[in-house]
Amino acid sequence: MSYLKRLPKFEYVSPQSLAEVCALIAGTSNEEVMLLAGGTDAILQMRRRERVPRRVIGLKGVADLEFVREQADGSLAIGAMTTLQTLLAAPVVSQRYDVLRETAAQIGGHELRNVATIGGNIAGALPCADLPPALMTLGARIKLSSQRGDRWVPLEDFFPEFGRTVAEDDELVAEISLPRPTSNSAGAYLKFHDRHSMDMTVVGVSAFVVRDDDGRTFRDLRLAYANGAPTVFRAKRAEAVLRGHALTEDGLEAVAETACAESNPRTSWRANGEYRLELIRVLTKRAIRRAWEKASSQKGTKS
Amino acid sequence: MNDLIPVSLRVNGVGYDVAIRPWRTLLEVLRETLAMTGTKRSCGEGQCGACTVLLDGKAVSSCLYLAVEAQGKDIQTIEGPVGGDPALEQIQSSFAAKGAVQCGFCTPGMVMITKDLLSHNPEPNEDEIRDALVGHLCRCTGYVQIVEAIQDAARGMQDAAGEMARKEGA
Repeated sequence: MSYLKRLPKFEYVSPQSLAEVCALIAGTSNEEVMLLAGGTDAILQMRRRERVPRRVIGLKGVADLEFVREQADGSLAIGAMTTLQTLLAAPVVSQRYDVLRETAAQIGGHELRNVATIGGNIAGALPCADLPPALMTLGARIKLSSQRGDRWVPLEDFFPEFGRTVAEDDELVAEISLPRPTSNSAGAYLKFHDRHSMDMTVVGVSAFVVRDDDGRTFRDLRLAYANGAPTVFRAKRAEAVLRGHALTEDGLEAVAETACAESNPRTSWRANGEYRLELIRVLTKRAIRRAWEKASSQKGTKS
Repeated sequence: MNDLIPVSLRVNGVGYDVAIRPWRTLLEVLRETLAMTGTKRSCGEGQCGACTVLLDGKAVSSCLYLAVEAQGKDIQTIEGPVGGDPALEQIQSSFAAKGAVQCGFCTPGMVMITKDLLSHNPEPNEDEIRDALVGHLCRCTGYVQIVEAIQDAARGMQDAAGEMARKEGA
């Protein structure tokens, strides 16, 4: 009856700047200190006593972690504390990274999206998180900040194993950078869950397609999965199958087959592994088709 | 350690200076410290919408929000401001008129998400209304009357706005 429980006791601090946060987490361990972003997951973890931190560092007041900014080099910089609602409502996101808008819109309900953040969705390192697959196919890089300095890590290298990230205990996810998508490209995110909304993802597939200038073949294809394995991951062998080829039923079948071979979904009360594999097979084909159609309807992404 | 933190909360336009422990949720402080029991606790997981309040005009689940983090924010609950709130009153009377209230436990959350919806989308279609309600569970009505109540509230607010414009024009 975890829902009746109150939260465990903790000390609370609310830094106002990124530098302050870095100073607060320097020399601490994740066991004793918890960073609280939106809190829609973290508060539940505390209520269930899955995490019992001595100290909670609230990030909601850190203004320099909340931004959606177009950079001079054409990339997009997103602050870790940007809420899902801000993200999906940002014009630049729907114009240039529609798969991100589409993904954010499929997470939870309004109450959750008004609070949950992109940084929290990534740093939580859950295999069922929906934003990481979409961000991976967009080629996202993550900025980790600490008192020792900043470093950038490709998102596809960010989750070494279930529930973990490559961030050290004194580092936090500060920013997400997305390269400008090339023309003739588009992405789609499809997820399966039992209810229409407000449900955990059973399997999620993000497909990102770049079409050749002639529009007939795949210049590039990227695929990433939620709940396809103990971590969100890119299926790179499957991606290679259709590169340089036209869209055919046989080709899609081969991609889906390879993606299943690369996946290792778990069995849980929500769904067993075989069922998830079947979902991966079906959703992979569907997501590629959808991304392909979106890429053709929007000839270029130049704005 | 002295774990009481002084917090200034503004609820329905009234300021409250309270000293609270940081692990208490906004829902707990509203209900237990401020004795505003209109906001309900149900699932405790952000699934059911019974505890929805507006923070700076946006719907949030107060069971998943630390009260200390609501410092300085404008909090609106089902109790409404002293002196009344025409939008809130319209929504509540539409819910009553359309039979959208049976046991009533989900109603405060339903009313608050409706207020959020109509504040940025005064003429929602049925799909938009149902989308606003995805995070709200009702075990009695089957949602049909709730959707009708929201449509009725939207019409009522449009009529009131029209009336106001006419008066100003005259």
